[in-house]
Amino acid sequence: MKKPIFLLLILLLTIQSCVVVKEYEKVAINDPDMILADKKCDRNLSTSHAYREAAVGANGGKTGGGCGCN
Amino acid sequence: MKYQTICICICILFSVHCVAQTQDSQYKKRVLETAEIDFLSSYYTQDGDNAAVSGGIGTEELTDATATVVISIPLNADDVLTIDAGISAYTSASSSNVDPFDGSGVANAFVASSGASGADVWSNITGVYSHSSDDRNTLWSGKVSISAEYDYFSFGVGGSFTKLFNEKNTELSISANAYLDSWSIISPAELRAPGSGDDDDDFDINNFTITGNTNYAPNFVALPTDKRNSYSLGFGFSQILSKKLQGSLALDFVSQNGLLSTPFQRVYFSDIEDSFIEDFHLAEDIERLPDTRFKVAVGGRLNYYINEVVTVRSFYRYYFDDWGITSHTASIEIPIKLGDKFTIYPSYRYYQQTAADYFQPYNQHLSTAQFYTSDFDLSTYSSNQFGFGISYTDILTKLKLWKIGLKSIDLKVYQYDRDTSFSSTIITTGFKFNLD
Repeated sequence: MKKPIFLLLILLLTIQSCVVVKEYEKVAINDPDMILADKKCDRNLSTSHAYREAAVGANGGKTGGGCGCN
Repeated sequence: MKYQTICICICILFSVHCVAQTQDSQYKKRVLETAEIDFLSSYYTQDGDNAAVSGGIGTEELTDATATVVISIPLNADDVLTIDAGISAYTSASSSNVDPFDGSGVANAFVASSGASGADVWSNITGVYSHSSDDRNTLWSGKVSISAEYDYFSFGVGGSFTKLFNEKNTELSISANAYLDSWSIISPAELRAPGSGDDDDDFDINNFTITGNTNYAPNFVALPTDKRNSYSLGFGFSQILSKKLQGSLALDFVSQNGLLSTPFQRVYFSDIEDSFIEDFHLAEDIERLPDTRFKVAVGGRLNYYINEVVTVRSFYRYYFDDWGITSHTASIEIPIKLGDKFTIYPSYRYYQQTAADYFQPYNQHLSTAQFYTSDFDLSTYSSNQFGFGISYTDILTKLKLWKIGLKSIDLKVYQYDRDTSFSSTIITTGFKFNLD
């Protein structure tokens, strides 16, 4: 139990130490390739993974519905 | 004094009115400037020797072609309506062997039957309404979806709430979805009661010669429900870590109940003597799995903008569920810009999972067990996936047809190989248009 709390504290400290990036400084962050999700054209790839693999979720994709049984 | 008071009141009201008008006429950047249309398509093929329909042996050959259109319409400065409609047509050799005796050839798990069960069409429509606050720091959305295929219907509702803090450097989100699904239960042909079909061509075991154990008498018990419900709750956190680095964490919980097995997937037992018609092993039962399942996935992304040419996108996920499966997924994609219009996307993905507690391969289950499956998607395996894509982007949308301007084209190819016999290839395309 101590380990997750320690890791969480490290994470919070890391975030606290981050500089605030102003809107006019977000040229690189706003690059389309920096988006924190799959690209739209990869959606059917994610669907095929969801059908063929046991693991789903935590990637912004679908987490339920549909049988995927073929 | 009375006139003075009235004059002051009129002045205040006028001032308030002017301020209100000023606020109303202040320029507010629209969440979405113009309507956008995405045409997405894919062509998928797979093959392998461990078909779940024939109990863990047999061809897994499948092809699927999918076409989707996604239209995002700005309703006003704050609200966007997105309509997402797709259709997917597939042919599946293993599904054709739900009834391996309806074709013209000899029934065999490694050969597709030419019967009707080998092809189907899946269709889906989803509507999403999203609203952003005036300061763009709060976003909520609601979603309704319907999808259907021959033996399956799914109705879904969902919603999400997102809050941005810290000059939009930090984002927290929560989402919830519910899918209420129902099956039209289709059993393997040999387990159906003779004469239960609606035409004369339906399989009747009395018309065939059984070899091996000629006293074929499976103890088949009908499934208790045809409903499957899935509920998910997700939490997201993302943070800009520097001018060139940002990351996110996601935690998803999924709870499912109802019919979680697939009714036409066969199972064979090592303690029951085998029976055959032609070269096909007759089902001793169908897959049986618990009627509840709880899944937990925790994942993270970290993207780094190295320079104007190269970006690194990475992803990791740990997953576990109460069926005994744990898995790790890790992927990396390195977009490389070739000038201001073209980008290439080399990528690699590794995936591995442990088997479900109820999995055994072909003919190794015991008939005394309560739950069993020979679906190799629930087995222990690892996989490697290599991908390559190319993208064309024209931010000025110079190429126009009437009022529709082409914004981008994406083309990607992925090759996926398990350490078993299974492999697949998918080609995806995406065309993005702006509507003036």
